[in-house]
Amino acid sequence: MPLAVVGVSHRTAPIELRERFAFGRAELPGALISLVEETGAETVVLSTCNRTEVYLAAPEGVDGTDAARAVLAKRVGMSAEAAARHLYLHRDRGAAEHLFRVSSGLDSMILGEPQIQGQVRDAYAVARETGCSEGPVVGPALNRLFQTALNVGGRVRSETGLGIGAASVSSAAVDLSKKIFGSLKGRRALVLGAGEMSETTLECLRAEGVRTAIVANRTWERARELAERWGGEAVRWEQFGDALAGVDIVICSTAAPHPVLTRERLRAALPNGAKRPLCIIDIALPRDVEPAVGDEPNVFLYDIDDLQAIVSGNLDRRRAELPAAEGIVGTGVEEFWTWYSSLAVVPTIRALRDHGERVRQAEVERALRSLQHLSPDDQLAIHALTRSLLNKLLHSPTVRLRQAAGNGRGTGVLDTVRYLFELEPDGSPHED
Amino acid sequence: MTDVLHLAAVALYALAAALLGISFARTDRRLPAVATTTLGLAVAAHGAALASYIRQFGEPPLVGLAPSLSVLGFLIALGSLGVATLGRTGPLGLVLVPVAAAVAAAAQAAGVRPDGEAMLFRGPWFVLHVVLAMLGYAALAVSFAAGLMYLLQFRELKGRRFGAIFRFFPPLETLDRIGRLALMAGLPLLSAALLVGWAWTERFQHPMAIGNPKIVLGVISWLVFVVALAVRAGGSRQARRGALVSVLGFAVVVISYVVLRVGASSHTGGFL
Repeated sequence: MPLAVVGVSHRTAPIELRERFAFGRAELPGALISLVEETGAETVVLSTCNRTEVYLAAPEGVDGTDAARAVLAKRVGMSAEAAARHLYLHRDRGAAEHLFRVSSGLDSMILGEPQIQGQVRDAYAVARETGCSEGPVVGPALNRLFQTALNVGGRVRSETGLGIGAASVSSAAVDLSKKIFGSLKGRRALVLGAGEMSETTLECLRAEGVRTAIVANRTWERARELAERWGGEAVRWEQFGDALAGVDIVICSTAAPHPVLTRERLRAALPNGAKRPLCIIDIALPRDVEPAVGDEPNVFLYDIDDLQAIVSGNLDRRRAELPAAEGIVGTGVEEFWTWYSSLAVVPTIRALRDHGERVRQAEVERALRSLQHLSPDDQLAIHALTRSLLNKLLHSPTVRLRQAAGNGRGTGVLDTVRYLFELEPDGSPHED
Repeated sequence: MTDVLHLAAVALYALAAALLGISFARTDRRLPAVATTTLGLAVAAHGAALASYIRQFGEPPLVGLAPSLSVLGFLIALGSLGVATLGRTGPLGLVLVPVAAAVAAAAQAAGVRPDGEAMLFRGPWFVLHVVLAMLGYAALAVSFAAGLMYLLQFRELKGRRFGAIFRFFPPLETLDRIGRLALMAGLPLLSAALLVGWAWTERFQHPMAIGNPKIVLGVISWLVFVVALAVRAGGSRQARRGALVSVLGFAVVVISYVVLRVGASSHTGGFL
């Protein structure tokens, strides 16, 4: 049963192309059904902003990868040849290793980013909930593959430092605030400037429980728009000093060519000094906050260089965890592949046992016809004896077949068994 | 048996302290949990050692230098385990566990057995007095650890340094809260210990002179608690000053103890 992944990611295509390949959440069930019909394989589609991948586990002798490529090429309106320049293909063990690396965050644009684990879980959940005319789109192979991938991803995150620390400027801002305030639940934030960076940082802070967001911007409409979007309140630019006294966190990201928050302005806003810690995060260039503001008691001031230093340090530490993470992925691949390879021998083992059972029954019945004087108990004893003999004879071949499948020698051994016992390639007995 | 168990506890404390030190130096997600488990084993071994002491000598280990130090070390370690498991602030152990290890090791070196005057101090009131006092001092140690870590983390955050302290130490607010709660729990405990001790000596012993080292140490410790809590009355604006007073206060109590012990006659009995 061949296993494969066909896909496109941030490593092989620019964002303009990736967003054309991407499937929205609502599109996925339809796409899955169409792929199953085209490829005839178990299918899961993983689609995020950084990758779109189709995982396939096809029946023996079927290769669904060309069909999957064609579906993806058609989606972006390219010829198969043109799309192939951006698509990659991993087969069998390589496909499993790829998914385990993806779910662990090892293949992510930001090494170790945590969202991918949830995205893999969602992709698997959608596939499990989707059925087509021939039954569910996910069967035992992809079930096991994705469950192992989630387990490997979880282990990498819990047993290594790959996911520790902020890896983006906005999450570094959240980390810094949390080092001062602990939980951010119920805290109040003031946002100076209503640009993209302000919004991204505000989004992160709101996700951590920041309660009130006050937005001040030179353009009143823009301030009101941002405040409405995040359930906050807008204040006039001239009045942001009044808001300083009631907030815990200040995010500055204006396009002003000179500092908008000076020491004098802060002192005017807080004549008795900050009653509680005030965390000011200045992500503007040129800076919005005069450096002397950081010398005020109870005021913690950080600029973009500080945030980038945190991110850079965290990424260095994440890279140092790569060997440990790769080790966990390798173990996961080994375990999965041992199980997956053993799937191929199951029909042959079953056929071998059926063949043995048929021979046993025929021989016992023939013997019992000439031993009609035996009591029913004696006849049952003969059945038990022959059944036990058969089980003992087949035990070692069964175990050895599974072992051979696990260590990569399965095909040769399977062929030998089929030849010796006259079994068909699918495991059924040969009929003359 | 008591000695073996006590020695095992000291070794486990040292191991837990080393594991916390390694966790601090390098990022590892599993080590802090291993350190907490090791600390739990150390506390269990220490508890077993103290139970064995009671069985062996027929009295609680509250009289004499070594037994008292051992109980104090046990309570500090228990406090560290409590904040690590209930408060989820295991890094506090970076300061508390070495303190507990040092106190328990000092007890081990002095020999964990009753001194000659032990029989004089039997009785429930005495036991209550010493246990309450020990709990008060353990709370002061927790407040000291939280205060010290607060000052270091504050310095890192203010100085924009994002090294091991920034990553490993708990947030400022958490450290402030633990320090404050420890003081709020410790003050009534120590106050009750002093009252029970005073009533007990009035009732069963000769009243002590005001200059008795035990009274002096008790009063100094009580004042440290009062001052530390008074400084924190200003809310989070005073958090840094409160942390500083907790650290200095703990140092004052330790130094006072050493000075009073050196200066006191060899047969003052009890903790001294």
